[in-house]
Amino acid sequence: MEINEMLFLAIALTTVLSALIVALSKKIIYSAFALLLTLIGFAGLFIYLSADFLSMAQIMIYVGGILILILFGVLMTQRIYDPSQITAHNSIWVSLAGGIAMAAITGAVVWLNPWGKTLAKDFEYSTSRIGSELLTKYLLPFEVISVLLLAVLIGAVYLGRSREVHK
Amino acid sequence: MASFYIALLFLAVGFLLVGLTVLFSRLLHPRINYPEKNLTYECGIIPEGESWIKFNSRFYVIALIFLIFDVEILFLFPWAVVFEELGLLAFVEMFIFIVILLVGLAYVWVKGDLDWIKPRPELAHLPKEKGK
Amino acid sequence: MNNLESLQFFIPELFLTAGLLVTIIVELLLKKEQKVFTAYLAATVLLITIFFLIRQYAIEPAALFGGMVVIDPMAVFFKILTAVSTLIIVFFSIPSFRVKAEYYVLLLATTLGMMLMAQVNDLLMIILAMELVGLVSYVLAGYRRSDPKSGEASLKYILFGAASTGIMAFGFSYIYGLTGQTNLFEIQQALQSTQHNPVILFVAFVLIIAGLGYKIAMVPFHFWLPDVYEGAPTPVTAFFSVGPKAAGMAVLIRFIISIVAGVSADGQTFTANAPIHAQELLAVLAVLTMTLGNLSALQQKNIKRMMAYSSIAHAGYMLMALAVFTSQSVEAVMFYLVVYMFMNFGAFWVIHRMTPHLGSEEITAYTGLGYRAPLVAVAMGVFMFSLTGLPPLAGFIGKFYLFAAVIKAEWYILAVLGVLNSVVSLYYYAYVTKVMFLNRGDDESAVSISSYDTALLLVFLIPTLVLGVYWVPVISWATQSLHFFLG
Repeated sequence: MEINEMLFLAIALTTVLSALIVALSKKIIYSAFALLLTLIGFAGLFIYLSADFLSMAQIMIYVGGILILILFGVLMTQRIYDPSQITAHNSIWVSLAGGIAMAAITGAVVWLNPWGKTLAKDFEYSTSRIGSELLTKYLLPFEVISVLLLAVLIGAVYLGRSREVHK
Repeated sequence: MASFYIALLFLAVGFLLVGLTVLFSRLLHPRINYPEKNLTYECGIIPEGESWIKFNSRFYVIALIFLIFDVEILFLFPWAVVFEELGLLAFVEMFIFIVILLVGLAYVWVKGDLDWIKPRPELAHLPKEKGK
Repeated sequence: MNNLESLQFFIPELFLTAGLLVTIIVELLLKKEQKVFTAYLAATVLLITIFFLIRQYAIEPAALFGGMVVIDPMAVFFKILTAVSTLIIVFFSIPSFRVKAEYYVLLLATTLGMMLMAQVNDLLMIILAMELVGLVSYVLAGYRRSDPKSGEASLKYILFGAASTGIMAFGFSYIYGLTGQTNLFEIQQALQSTQHNPVILFVAFVLIIAGLGYKIAMVPFHFWLPDVYEGAPTPVTAFFSVGPKAAGMAVLIRFIISIVAGVSADGQTFTANAPIHAQELLAVLAVLTMTLGNLSALQQKNIKRMMAYSSIAHAGYMLMALAVFTSQSVEAVMFYLVVYMFMNFGAFWVIHRMTPHLGSEEITAYTGLGYRAPLVAVAMGVFMFSLTGLPPLAGFIGKFYLFAAVIKAEWYILAVLGVLNSVVSLYYYAYVTKVMFLNRGDDESAVSISSYDTALLLVFLIPTLVLGVYWVPVISWATQSLHFFLG
């Protein structure tokens, strides 16, 4: 086995195992920290797909931003070790059946179509291509994103504010 | 792709160093336990209540604002890479993008969401501040 | 068309964005008691936007911004419809959100999102436009921060919304993987020129329908809706029931005429791109949607929940027409949305203004309202019967066109099921009217309504009555708008 494949396997295994901890851990704080590993694992997998920009975005936004928010959310929760807080709909068999069905469907889709011809290409850096496409072909989505971020900023800050500000 | 191997190497070395240090200290340290040692702060004062406290939700709002501008910064990278090629066009496009977001910054600033609350400990045995 | 040339066809959206920014800045400069001014500013911005939109009818169908969005009469129709519905909602909200400037800013942002949804032509734009509408809607649902129900509504909305967007994006990734394109009409060409495995296309179709179906409250993606409608402030509920739903329908129509089926040059015949039984699936979902909506509405005690299930049922009627894939059915849906806007807003306006007087949102609280506030009660009766689809009201004409489209396409069983559903719906709509007029409550004091309330009530009541007897202008507007950009 090539070193490349071994590395891939290691990253994929880390991702899947830490994702399992996220789903199965009884303590929500452990789940939150395991999520850190899962998200970094995703960043690694993106590199294998020649998506270096996406991988950095994953680290910056998810690991550096969203995970912090999730940790804040966890730390703000009261009585999280209280067993009565567990919801009623947590049957592992139902989740397992759903997961297996989803895996079967997506697996069948992968099996039925000769994908991956274009994926076998060599690694190439994508950031500059993303940059020029974003500013020419995808200009409208790019500018819409700024309006979206503005609206989200105002909305999120409004909801997050604990009481009426004085102004 | 080679540069990512270097990054991976750094990551691995980082984990290894921390792991080895923890391992060595585990192997070497003497195991003597007494109740005072297990206190949260080993400083002579016995802590009261739980360590799990609810903190001010203002931190959360600031984290949210950070996240929004984090996403904005993300878009600056590909822009910076092609800035020389596209020149003025890229400048104008990014200018519009940032100006729209600046309105958001002005909003949170004026509304006082960025103000840091000053901690004023309210302890029973301290005299109240004058004029209150 | 390249980016710079496209700008001249994008004036309404640009104006709306500028208006949005100006509203935020004005908001920051005003003192608290003056902030009602932002509501009027938002209304003015919307009014001018609508004026710009009407002028867009003269433009020939074309793709803008390198194919990201299109401009065609159908897009203009939906843009006007969503902008008008938001304009009405601004006036709807002024009594309850006088000094909440952020609220109007968010409404303008959603309007921009809905206008983009009406003209999307690219998978990326579909996700972005739907997220713009969705994310702001989550905030609007939780707008009353002191009310835990409102917060719960917001949370449920976010969780379902995030999941369904993710599922839809996953479906898009299959389409992109098969064709290598994100532009809807390039995807159409790729699908028509090469034979793909129908199983994959079917899976992708189901995944995408899950995302779109969530937006228009299609069963089985409707779970969020009753709780959100009940928990959200009533003006927001009214807003959700028309604008975003119309925009969702617009995206669904775009999706059908590009990825699912090809439309002939005259816009009359639809031929499926791949044998994936999209029509049958949509028909089954439509029947499920209206049946479940109507049967659940029967059991509701809370009038907002009843209206929520009623709105699911109406989404079912519209889906039923869309399932037959004819230009006539698209036209019927467009006409129905106009009618639905007036009667649904009317019903929500009555609920909104009467709740403080009646003290609760229970249907039984409306007992004897006919004797306490005759005009309001009569108007509510009209809206209820119009929603049922009884002649001579606007709802009847709307439903008539929907069923006519289905029958003309020879889907008789579907039409029969639709009519049976309408009969079921008569029971719960008529029940509201019955408690208002045939029963007398304990409290018989007259309910005073302000002239503002009456004026807005008439804005909803008069079209509901007039469109029942003279609907030609609206249907010819819909016919005129039945002109797609076809790649």
